[in-house]
Amino acid sequence: MTTAIDINEIGHAYGGPDVLQDISFSIDIGEFFIVIGPNGSGKTTLLKILAGILKPQQGRLTLFDRPLASYPRKELARKVAYVPQLTALDFPFTVTEIVLMGRSPHLGILGWEQADDLEIAKRAITFTETEHLAHRRLNELSGGERQRAFIARAICQEPKIILLDEPTASLDLAHQIKVMDLMEKLRTEKNITIVMVSHDVNLAAMYAQRLLLLNRGRLVTLGPPRDVLDYAVLEEIYGCTLLVDESPIGRFPRITLVPKKFQVPGAGK
Amino acid sequence: MNKTNKGYPGLIDISPGFFIATCLEKPAVTMKTVIKSICYSAICSLLLGVCHLPAGYAATFTDVTDPLGRPVRVPADPRRVIALAPNITEIIFALKQEDRLKGVTQFSDYPAEARNFPKVGSYVQLDLERIVALKPDLCIAIKDGNPRTVVQRLETMGIPVYAVDPRNLDSVMATVLAIGSVLRAETAARDLVQAMQKRIARVQAAVSRAAGRPKVFFQIGISPIVSVGTDTFIHELIEKAGGTNLAAGDTPYPRFSREQVLGLSPEVIIITSMTRAAVFERVKEEWSRWPDMPAVRNRQIFIADSNLFDRPSPRLVEALEVLTTLIHPEFKKENPSP
Amino acid sequence: MNPPVILKRLVVVTCVMFLLLLAAMLLGLSTGSTGSSLTATLQAIWGNQETDPTLAAIIWRIRLPRVLLAALVGATLSVGGLVFQALLRNPLAEPYILGISGGSAIGAIIGILLGFSPFPGVALLAFSGSMATLLLILLMVSGQTILKRESLLLSGVMVNAFCAAVIMFLVSLTQDSRLHNIIFWLMGDLSMADLRQVAILGATLLPGLILIFWFAHPMNLLLAGKETAQSMGVHVKLVTVTLLIATSFMVSASVSRSGLLGFVGLVMPHLLRLLLGPDHRVLVPACILGGGAYMVLCDLLARALPQQGEMPAGVITAMIGAPLFIFLMKTSKR
Repeated sequence: MTTAIDINEIGHAYGGPDVLQDISFSIDIGEFFIVIGPNGSGKTTLLKILAGILKPQQGRLTLFDRPLASYPRKELARKVAYVPQLTALDFPFTVTEIVLMGRSPHLGILGWEQADDLEIAKRAITFTETEHLAHRRLNELSGGERQRAFIARAICQEPKIILLDEPTASLDLAHQIKVMDLMEKLRTEKNITIVMVSHDVNLAAMYAQRLLLLNRGRLVTLGPPRDVLDYAVLEEIYGCTLLVDESPIGRFPRITLVPKKFQVPGAGK
Repeated sequence: MNKTNKGYPGLIDISPGFFIATCLEKPAVTMKTVIKSICYSAICSLLLGVCHLPAGYAATFTDVTDPLGRPVRVPADPRRVIALAPNITEIIFALKQEDRLKGVTQFSDYPAEARNFPKVGSYVQLDLERIVALKPDLCIAIKDGNPRTVVQRLETMGIPVYAVDPRNLDSVMATVLAIGSVLRAETAARDLVQAMQKRIARVQAAVSRAAGRPKVFFQIGISPIVSVGTDTFIHELIEKAGGTNLAAGDTPYPRFSREQVLGLSPEVIIITSMTRAAVFERVKEEWSRWPDMPAVRNRQIFIADSNLFDRPSPRLVEALEVLTTLIHPEFKKENPSP
Repeated sequence: MNPPVILKRLVVVTCVMFLLLLAAMLLGLSTGSTGSSLTATLQAIWGNQETDPTLAAIIWRIRLPRVLLAALVGATLSVGGLVFQALLRNPLAEPYILGISGGSAIGAIIGILLGFSPFPGVALLAFSGSMATLLLILLMVSGQTILKRESLLLSGVMVNAFCAAVIMFLVSLTQDSRLHNIIFWLMGDLSMADLRQVAILGATLLPGLILIFWFAHPMNLLLAGKETAQSMGVHVKLVTVTLLIATSFMVSASVSRSGLLGFVGLVMPHLLRLLLGPDHRVLVPACILGGGAYMVLCDLLARALPQQGEMPAGVITAMIGAPLFIFLMKTSKR
């Protein structure tokens, strides 16, 4: 079994026009899979459907060769972890408490952790290099630190798949790289499948094994970054002028946005 | 004092609970066991907990029916009576049975000696603890005002409660007789009632000779303006005093706007409330702004002592007499008040 | 097998709170309009033969039901506030927020005006009133799925405001001694507690309290966000609806007996959260026991402070609760 997730003709609408239409693809185990596309293309909806949070109106979803709908809630939570976009938390939980919440799918309803649950949490904190934050309260942390705490919680769930919704949005440069490196480490060391939604196309190009380009709820292209990041397609979808060349540090494409003052009227590449 | 049963749970009653708990639980005394045994013992003591006050001083009892139709077992010779309303206190003093009285309510101010008695709260908010602490052998309650729940609690604790309903002249007299029968003062009660009836008869005789029935507006509330409807004792007094109550109607305490009162053209306005003379002058002056009103024109605006008019007690007769002289000023010259 | 990690902390907190509750109850039993010393009370409890039976009767028949009622009501309101703050993810939520105060007040006032006795007449009407407003709010909200929290809160506030107008209207119509009863009910009044009624109320509330303790961990997860909680295996809809209905039921039952005691449900969760942290597995038993102790203390102040008679307990909870809440808000800002 190499397929982690298999998606067939997924369609969904929030009571109005279709948000997603006829999406089919599959994700391999241990793959770094990133979904890109302009705002409103349906990326977050797709991720929520993959996480089992949203039930698609059309289509079938299979997880490890079993229909997603057949998984009981807790069992699904043991396989799939979901890290949403940064949210404000009004209640002063410490980082350790948040990370420990990740053990819930493995505990009973009372949620009383054992000593080995504490161990797993500790390891997750070490993995994400947040030991110095372990006893700090969430509302005292910066955006990047908070994101790493939530990732630690996802790791603590010991899932096979981690889904992340724009994890690098509103993070500074250093933290952006840190988070992506963390995901790469999880993938290579623990063979966890990473599925991410990202708005940063360049970052996605550097890490993804395959990219999925969505536009207005439809699948445009799916494949390695080199194939997907075609400048003509991107210009049409994003509606701006850009330059695509090969990155100086590796064999993957690099997108450069072209401001108006540098544009030569009528010229293309 | 009789003490036939211990009457209250102590730890002796609670220990069966502990015993049950330790039998049912494992021998190890963990916090869970302690908590559980406390729960068992609480349940046990509640089940065992009977709490009757030991019987009072009285050795013999009589079964009577109070004016409300309730059967009550009263002591034959009550020695520790608590009056649960100020008018009951007045009646007890009027029957000269104050030696039996051990507690009164907060606003029992007539006669003046009543103020020295221990207080048991106000008649709408009785203090159960203080009543019980005075160890009464009889409580006398009134229907209109005493909370039913307090009466029920007293009775479940073994304290007899004799309830009366003095609402107007007739029922006050019936109450006097009833209380007289319970406090072994039948003769004094009869004498008091006869005196009251004589005075009422005098008033009615005088009224029957009166020229007319002036229109009376009896104001018991200043802001808002409140008067008295048909179902009040003041209405009865007004009618007996030879006046016409302008506020007669179904609402016991109807509200009026100033316009409505002007429309009624009262010939006499009587104001009573627990306020001072300065307030009365202001109210009188406010009415005086309408010189077309008969009461203003003929200067028939009076203040009446609220102490006489706010409670249905034997002093209602005095209230009647005062009202009569206010409504029919010609009587003042004929018959000086007794 | 090793014991769960949290058990030690849970046991310590529960024991300390329980002792506080016992101490408060003991103080409550020795306070009253006839007063009594602590030693006399202890003697009466111990079953000493020399104790004046009248004092014993006062303690067991008059004070004990009242103290028990205060503990029950305090526990319910505190834990109710805690649950609503978690469900609505709003630190200003309090147990009356979903129309319970408005609906129960209208029911109670109607009962008092019709001349029913406080139990069961007025209590049943108050309970029906609050259930009716809850139903109304749920109906108002059922059409919308997005922004569910905000619509619940908004509907609750609107219904309460409307009920307040109706209440003022009814109060303005009343002129006789029933007005006194109405005001006392609105302010929250624990007098006239009866052991049988307290036992019935306790039996009604106990399953709800246990249920809330059972759902303490999912409440923690819900605070991290509905979707996050769902992704961690929580059945969000089931937990939310169950907790909402159970808590509303419990708070309504408690209010229908005791009237609208304010501030307890708002202040106690914050105070305990400040002292013990936001973990609901510890906060729930702490609120139950601590809230009970707080209410017992407020009630004994309501009896001890005035020279004549007693204040409604709701006055004390407001007078202590409001400054306490402001103080908590200031200190938690650090």
